Amino acid sequence: MDDKPNSAARGWTRRRVLGTAASSLAIAAAGSFAMPAIAQSKKLTYWGGLIFSDEANKLLTDTINAWGAANGVATEVVMINQNETVQKVSAAVSSNTMPDALDLGLDLLLLLSRQDQFITLDDLYKKIGDAQGGWFEGTDKATDTTADAGGRTGIPFGVNGNLLLRRKDLLEPAGFTEAPKTWDDLVAQAVAVNKSPVSGLGLALSNVGDANVQVNVLQSYGGRIADDAGKKVTIKSEETRAYLTWLKDAWDKGIFPPGNTTWDGAGDNQAYLSGQAAFIANTGSVGIAAKKDDPELYDGSAFSPLPAGPKGTISPITPQTRAITKNSGAQDEAKALLEHLAQPEFMNAYFNVAIYGPVLKSQEKLSAFDGTNPILAGLLNLAKAGTAPAYPDVYNAAWADLSSNFIIPKMCQRVVVDGWDFDKAMDEAQTQGQIIYDKY
Amino acid sequence: MSLVAEPSTRSSRRRRLPTGMRAKLFAYALVAPVVLLILGLVAYPFFFAIYVSFTDQVVGSVGKFIGFANFVYLSKSATFTAAIWNTVIIVLVSDGLKLVIGLGLALLVHQAIPGRGLFRSFLMLPWAMPAFVAFLTWRVLYQPIGGGINLVLTNTGIYPHVVDWLGQRQTAMGSVIAASVWRGFPFWFISILAALQSVPKDLYEAAHIDGANAWQRFWVVTVPGIRQVVIVTTLLSSIWTANGFEHVWLLTAGGPSDATMVFPVLAYFGMQTQRVGEAAAVSVAMLPILAILVIFATSLMMRDED
Repeated sequence: MDDKPNSAARGWTRRRVLGTAASSLAIAAAGSFAMPAIAQSKKLTYWGGLIFSDEANKLLTDTINAWGAANGVATEVVMINQNETVQKVSAAVSSNTMPDALDLGLDLLLLLSRQDQFITLDDLYKKIGDAQGGWFEGTDKATDTTADAGGRTGIPFGVNGNLLLRRKDLLEPAGFTEAPKTWDDLVAQAVAVNKSPVSGLGLALSNVGDANVQVNVLQSYGGRIADDAGKKVTIKSEETRAYLTWLKDAWDKGIFPPGNTTWDGAGDNQAYLSGQAAFIANTGSVGIAAKKDDPELYDGSAFSPLPAGPKGTISPITPQTRAITKNSGAQDEAKALLEHLAQPEFMNAYFNVAIYGPVLKSQEKLSAFDGTNPILAGLLNLAKAGTAPAYPDVYNAAWADLSSNFIIPKMCQRVVVDGWDFDKAMDEAQTQGQIIYDKY
Repeated sequence: MSLVAEPSTRSSRRRRLPTGMRAKLFAYALVAPVVLLILGLVAYPFFFAIYVSFTDQVVGSVGKFIGFANFVYLSKSATFTAAIWNTVIIVLVSDGLKLVIGLGLALLVHQAIPGRGLFRSFLMLPWAMPAFVAFLTWRVLYQPIGGGINLVLTNTGIYPHVVDWLGQRQTAMGSVIAASVWRGFPFWFISILAALQSVPKDLYEAAHIDGANAWQRFWVVTVPGIRQVVIVTTLLSSIWTANGFEHVWLLTAGGPSDATMVFPVLAYFGMQTQRVGEAAAVSVAMLPILAILVIFATSLMMRDED
């Protein structure tokens, strides 16, 4: 027996190699499938929206973890860069790995609500509203997903939108002590302080979300993206021509910073913080950065609402919401967490370090909004008086698609970069816009 | 009895397959895991992307089959048309420049010059630098106010006016190509240098004895010697350039006015609109261009082999 080696037991035969390979593959394949839920302990995963303020991100994370520890719920908080939320959510939906609850903007909330990804939260919404003086009207209307999902799927926790940030330390010596009331006033003031290296008007005209503030300017001149039914594109109009006349006039005065037609999302922030722009329209993140890194610049800055056009002021609010996913195994716990996160104590601390305005009427009385912080005071005004998303247009999927394709900023680029006449630029925007609207 | 008979039965059963066949089966079995991996990691995503491009999938839904609707929509888009031309221009011009610069430097460094090793390493630095860092650096260099290029031009009096390199249609594409060439030429350089080193010296000596001048030696000996490598490098570099995202995204994000819009950036914008089917269609629409390139390069290589 010893003379004949047992190769199957001691050596690597073909059969053994094949058997091992097959076993390894089988184990690897088995490992790629999720373990049954029963074998896992209950855990609540929360995707928080990462914002510019590290303090705000830490506060949210710590608060959720502390709540979990106090209530016997294992929590995992993952902060997601808001620019990457769409990609991450898309992958998570496809792989069925959505978190139990998450922060998300209105666009994504509406889209996923239509896909039946969230549970309805009408009771929780009412409970929180009743306890805190009710919801601000703009927030209440903007976040109503009943038509899409049969109920409310998002609990708003803050609103943001654009404020006008100006260098009062430059403007006051030039004789401008008040914020510009109209877009024409804005250009006049910008011209007065437009001296290298400072450019008067730091508005983006590139393929970036910040540039969509041009839609608000267009609307304040009476222009519209589409008709009241939200179906037929109406970009080409005399009102849009009036808006383009304003834009071209401002451009020809040389008050826009060089490079603003290719700025990324941080372009206006950097221009203002580096002292190269006298005005920008921004959500307030620049103010926070200036307060922390350049107190002198912060002290020399002032905040005001967006100026008005001939047809009034268009200053849309952008609500941020929290939602609970339908596949969550911890829905009750997630509801309790969302209720906890709406408590005034947490929200007051959060508002102080984040860049959101209030959503509940009683939040107006929080110390965060006592007027000592001009950014938060501006956001409070925005929450109370801001216009609904897309107003006076209809906020629908086509609108969101058109905005994401930067049709209006591209129309502006045609005029100021390519030198197209207004009719040609409007014709292209009208055609491209209608192609988008026709999909819906 | 059975103790004796069983081994002989198993042995006769194994003998039923001829040895050659068993060896083949064994070989197939050995490569099977790799084939499965390739199918899973390459083929499946590839064909799935093609399938998705024919659906109206948005984030959160699987979508339904809609035929060529996404492609019809894209064909009507001015941005898509711009992306086609821009992608072709960037690939042709930047890879042409990379070839010229890479070949020139490789020929130079191939000579016996002092500090050759150090020079070779130095030339590889752009390739070694992370793309993100490289293109952000270029963006800073291009800045109209405080950017290095404008500072040099204005301070030396070469050009007294500040140029918005990335913000004007006339200069945006050239600026993107320049940065792309800077980052990509080392790959050409090192590939061609390796090919040059494999060309037998005897051929040069023979050509020299036959009275060939430097240009003739380059054309008759060097070019055929590096031809295969240049074709493969062209193929790889063109695919990388066409699929490249960072150089355009970090410098211009496709602007101004779509002057530098390319397929990958357009696909990214498609994802931003949450319409996965359309985004996939943009990527799939690029396939014919790349396929033509691959077929052309492959046919050149096969012709050489023949």
